[in-house]
Amino acid sequence: MTRRALLAALGAAVVLVGGVGAGAQAPPRLVVQAPTEPPGLDLTATPASATAAVVFYNVQEGLVKIDRHGKLVPSLAERWHTSDNRNYTFFLRKGVRFHNGRELRAADVKYVFERAMNPETKHPYRRDYDAIGDIIVKDDFTITFALKSLNANFLHNVARQGSVIYPREAVETLKSHPVGTGPFRFEEWVRGDRIVLVRNPDYHVKGVPRLDRVTFRFIADPNAVLAALKAGDVDASLFGLGPEHVQDVRKDARFQVIVGDTTNDVILAMNNSRKPYGDVRVRRAITHGINKQDVLKGAMFGMGKVLGTNVDPLNPFYLDLSKAVPYDPAAARKLLAEAGYPNGFDTVLKVAPQYYYTVRSGEVIAENLKKIGVNVKIEQIEWGQWLARVFRESDFDLTIIGHAEAWDIKNYANPKYYFRYDSAKFQDLFARSEVTLDDTARRALFGEMQKLMVEDAPVVWLYMHPRLAVAKQGAQGFWKDLPVPAADMSEVGWATR
Amino acid sequence: MRRYVARRVAALVATLFFVSALVFVVIRVLPGDPAALIMGTEGSPEATERLRESMGLNRPLPVQYLEWLGGALRGDLGRSIQYDLPVGELILTRLPVTLPLALLAATFMVAVAVPLGLYAATHHRRAGDYLAMVVSQLGISIPQFWSGLLLILLFSVTLGWVRSGGFDGWSAGPWPALRSLLLPAVALGLFQAAVLVRATRSAVLDVLREDYVRTARAKGVSERLVVGKHTFRNALIPIVTVAGLQLGQLMAGAIVLESVFALPGLGRLALGAISARDLPVVQGVTLFVASGIVVINFVVDLAYGFLDPRIRYE
Repeated sequence: MTRRALLAALGAAVVLVGGVGAGAQAPPRLVVQAPTEPPGLDLTATPASATAAVVFYNVQEGLVKIDRHGKLVPSLAERWHTSDNRNYTFFLRKGVRFHNGRELRAADVKYVFERAMNPETKHPYRRDYDAIGDIIVKDDFTITFALKSLNANFLHNVARQGSVIYPREAVETLKSHPVGTGPFRFEEWVRGDRIVLVRNPDYHVKGVPRLDRVTFRFIADPNAVLAALKAGDVDASLFGLGPEHVQDVRKDARFQVIVGDTTNDVILAMNNSRKPYGDVRVRRAITHGINKQDVLKGAMFGMGKVLGTNVDPLNPFYLDLSKAVPYDPAAARKLLAEAGYPNGFDTVLKVAPQYYYTVRSGEVIAENLKKIGVNVKIEQIEWGQWLARVFRESDFDLTIIGHAEAWDIKNYANPKYYFRYDSAKFQDLFARSEVTLDDTARRALFGEMQKLMVEDAPVVWLYMHPRLAVAKQGAQGFWKDLPVPAADMSEVGWATR
Repeated sequence: MRRYVARRVAALVATLFFVSALVFVVIRVLPGDPAALIMGTEGSPEATERLRESMGLNRPLPVQYLEWLGGALRGDLGRSIQYDLPVGELILTRLPVTLPLALLAATFMVAVAVPLGLYAATHHRRAGDYLAMVVSQLGISIPQFWSGLLLILLFSVTLGWVRSGGFDGWSAGPWPALRSLLLPAVALGLFQAAVLVRATRSAVLDVLREDYVRTARAKGVSERLVVGKHTFRNALIPIVTVAGLQLGQLMAGAIVLESVFALPGLGRLALGAISARDLPVVQGVTLFVASGIVVINFVVDLAYGFLDPRIRYE
């Protein structure tokens, strides 16, 4: 072949390849940015939200599911039944296959729950299964859980990320290679760079998933995330951007911004076991002294919702008490004087800059509290130290943190929890709510608990951290609100172009 | 010479031992441990305690250290807590990112800094000299993460020539991999080059003031030969010293730039391991990097002998 002929052939090849590329549909793939790399992929070993974001609902699922509206819906169990609220029978979907090809049977479910209840397993939520007595396999697709006591949260606990069903034979490798029944199969984890999931062609729900491949790329730096989005290297950022970046992206017509509700309540915790916060008047004074709207504006550019108690707007028992203790510096000063602090006092606020909103909220709060004579010194500490000092040893005056878990009102009934709220009345109300199944009665108890929280002001509930997600135009099917911390990709796809 | 090498190797072993003990103690006395970090705010205290026990974190510190040391002496650096993989394997998978990155950056550094420094010295107090000094001052003052972001904005967001970050490995061929490493290497090399320009300039200036340079010029040697033969080789010793130190600093720069460019290299591995208190990984990477720096210093010392035959190793 002469040189000219070779060049001509090469040219033709380039045109052909280019032509084919331009005419074909873009492959249904999505690259999602994740801010932190998971500390292992085993949902039965870590409560990390970074793990849940990849694995929960995508690779592994539970018997029941909390859907995008916060409702309990069937998942691996096509229905369930209880006549006495003590024995729950689940009827499994038939023909569901694990990613290793084996069919899901009732014995797998029994194995998974018995393993979770076994102290040797080190399951992070073992307490959630305390009420379970016997697990009886009726046949391959029917299983009954006999409870030792009434438990109003039983179905919710079965829907939690720690209750996903996996095959017994994969238990040793869950940490690095999760196997489940979900819409996506785990393909690879390139440590430090990405996790790739691919479509499960045998998924038990018809029509999903819509994507062939989902890649979670770990990019921690928000500026790098913005650059990656704008350069087209990443299609969506579901957790990694702050409000200031979202404002920036809003101006760019190539992207859509999703702002929704979450169960993440950001609180200013006061150490109830330490002076002067043992005095309810001081705690109420602090609550009156903080302008939550200002905090929301300063920390979140006004996105999110001001809270009045621990119960968030996505909870069916939510009462709007956000204005119950309004911003009122005069009332705050009066309460402080009554408590013996007419000139206020000095206090230290410990925050972990890993969560940027804690520092920003703290700065607004320190400004606010100065007006009632409370001088706040902000101390920034690293996250590992925060967990050890503040969370484990309760060595703090004030701290700010977001609690992302849904239905976490139980923490206020635990006098050993780091803010040390110890109210016999609250603990009694909570214990009753745990065994009350009638919806009206339970709602009434939740109402009473919320009112008592306002009364006792053990912490200041600042705001609900909003869901801030950014995606390329054309990508659709993302959840708007996050009633559970998950990134369900099953219904996500590209609009036909 | 042989005795010299033996002495250096003994010093290397002592350094590594000291570094490993120091890192071990520092990481262990920091508040927070891997079990607490894995469980976060959501795991119960009991669950965290059980995990801590199973990780062997409740045993006395000296026992933990000796056990680790015993393993390390047999070539076993332990298993990563976060990744559940052998530390040696993790380091080996990260090297194909960080090593080429450092080499590219070092090449860029030398290729830019040495000619520019020579030029500035030979045009002392003229426009070119001042310009070179202003540019190098800028290079020193601009933080690496910022120059990295600026490069991303220009070359990947606006021009679309290279990726904004990430690394797909070398399996797809050298070109895509090099494309991923080019921008971070430039950002990394730029800062180091700025320092080296100044070192080169002042070293060359010093030699240019020597009597033998005046003599060479007086007997009519061409300026080319004066600079290229009589000056440059004699100026190389301080230049090589600074360049050697800077090779060590490339590692610190790599930590920053690997984060900005989302590269799965050694720097990000170390950073993540510190915040996760993944001690075996922190230990392994520190030892690895420390050995690297000690070896670089050794090579620099040997280079002195080649550059200046008067230097002897006893």
